[in-house]
Amino acid sequence: MARRSTESLASRLSPFQKFYLIIVAGFVLGPFIPLIIQSLAFRWAWPDMLPGTWWLEQRGKSMMPLAWDYVLSPYSRIWEATLNTVGIGLAVTVICLAISLPAARVLARERFRGKSAFEFFLSMPLIVPEAAIGIALLMMFIRLDLAGSYFGIIIAHLIPTIPYMVRMLTAVYQGLGRDFEEQAIILGASRWQVLRLVTLPMLLPGVVAGALFTFLVSTNIFLLTFFLGQGKIITLPTLLFSKIAGGTLDASAAGITLIVTLPGIILLIISERFIKEEAFGKGFGN
Amino acid sequence: MTQVQLRSISKRFGGFTAIENIDLDIRSGELVALLGPSGCGKTTTLRMIAGLENPTTGEIHFDDRDVSDLRVQDRNVGMVFQRYALFPHMTVEKNIAFGLSVRGTPRSEISDRLDEIIDVVQLGPFRQRFPAQLSGGQMQRVAIARTLITKPSVLMMDEPLANLDTKLRGEMRRFIRTLQQRLGITTIFVTHDQVEAMELADRIAVIFNGHLAQFGPPEDLYRQPVSVDVADFMGASNIFPGTMTGTDAVKTGFGTLSVVAQPGMADGSRVHAMLRNEGIDIHPANVEGGDDMVAGRIAARDFFGATVNYVVECGAERIIVNEQSRRLLDVGMEVRLDIPAERVWLMAG
Repeated sequence: MARRSTESLASRLSPFQKFYLIIVAGFVLGPFIPLIIQSLAFRWAWPDMLPGTWWLEQRGKSMMPLAWDYVLSPYSRIWEATLNTVGIGLAVTVICLAISLPAARVLARERFRGKSAFEFFLSMPLIVPEAAIGIALLMMFIRLDLAGSYFGIIIAHLIPTIPYMVRMLTAVYQGLGRDFEEQAIILGASRWQVLRLVTLPMLLPGVVAGALFTFLVSTNIFLLTFFLGQGKIITLPTLLFSKIAGGTLDASAAGITLIVTLPGIILLIISERFIKEEAFGKGFGN
Repeated sequence: MTQVQLRSISKRFGGFTAIENIDLDIRSGELVALLGPSGCGKTTTLRMIAGLENPTTGEIHFDDRDVSDLRVQDRNVGMVFQRYALFPHMTVEKNIAFGLSVRGTPRSEISDRLDEIIDVVQLGPFRQRFPAQLSGGQMQRVAIARTLITKPSVLMMDEPLANLDTKLRGEMRRFIRTLQQRLGITTIFVTHDQVEAMELADRIAVIFNGHLAQFGPPEDLYRQPVSVDVADFMGASNIFPGTMTGTDAVKTGFGTLSVVAQPGMADGSRVHAMLRNEGIDIHPANVEGGDDMVAGRIAARDFFGATVNYVVECGAERIIVNEQSRRLLDVGMEVRLDIPAERVWLMAG
């Protein structure tokens, strides 16, 4: 058995397991291959396996910026959309945390009349179709003059993210006894010090997970942003939709698609590093 | 050195009464145990003294000051929780210094007091460790040091020995006792274990169902409990119902015992007689004895090493006798029990 562990992973897997891994990898990575090729193509017509003409061959000849030249140019509005997406995502995450932390604390620790009804009510945004929420919000926001404003979009993004965040933080709070906070108070800490020095650091793994999730959900919301942005505020999902809505996927649309996937990939890498940090694993056994 | 007084304290949660009209006068520098079964209100009492709960009625005084309305942070109390509540993301040093750093104590003073207290609790080699890397006894010492560094006027502990194994228990008991005496700090702890209470406390307050049943030194509670409930909780095993004949004898299921007259125990009244296991002398039946002898037969023997318990059948009752195991009597042997009058304690009812 000792020798086995020194063998490579590949030789330890059964043929079925190898096959399974390849299938999963294929499903995850497969779609990127035509996207990458398309983003570098000038003309790629059926039934060719590879583009007939590449972008780099045509680069000097065209008056217009092509493919990646276009994607990275101001004409594509990709920088504006990226800034909007990240900015809105950050704002939504912070506000969502500020709302969900106290709510999760109460849900985890207190018993009150109508608690289970409230918990059901909390998950309503996940049950009601996004289009219904979007149209209802739009009707209200037009009257309130919030349509087409950042503030309006942020409020709209909070609706589907708060239920997830509250649920995640409730679970984390349930694992954190009252003792720690009471001990800090007895030792003379103010409410703010208790939150900053004890509660938040101890909730950190849950807070990080919830924040990452909220940010990712926010950066991927299309419908609500589309309704409430009124075309005045573009984000990566709405920009992408406007490029591919016609049904054709040209090189610039493929490039934009690739850029839209970046925030998620970058966050995933950061979170992997962050959560593996020794300090966060320490002492949460009790 | 602070005197703690509870004056007619009651606590109700909705319709449930956790504490009913408790008066408790704890002397300065005293080590007091609040003892009772779980749910009796002892922890609520401790939390009220700390300020984590507010009494529904009544007042709490530290010396001559009414602290009932003071915030927890302003009461200057210390609390060691049962599971220590060490902050898992901080080192031993950071944990211990917490109380000083949140109060904005200057760095140099923090470091001096840290050195001093770490020396007292002998945690020198563990300063940079995290709580998850410590043993139970070390975690408790960190918790105690963290509390003492703020120089609280009253120290509170929740089941201080409950989470420790037998060997550590003795060590921690001596440690807590010595430290408490050295610092002279008024200390109140909660426990459901009468052994833990007797091991540590100067005086024990027994609480049943939110009422203070008895408050006194361990030996009083052990030898002279005020009620059958207290006797039972303090671990008494020989409690027999009986009727007084005169004021100096009680008629029980296994014969008449002569007793020392006690106030309120009149001729003919129904009483309970308590016989401490170790207060009874056991002799083989052929040994001549005095008038107090009760005849019986050994039904079972439990050997504990240093001591031995005999279950002796006397008529319809079973009396448990504990003695040193220097000699051993056999099961089935006819014996006579010598129960001197001064070792019988009477309780009403």
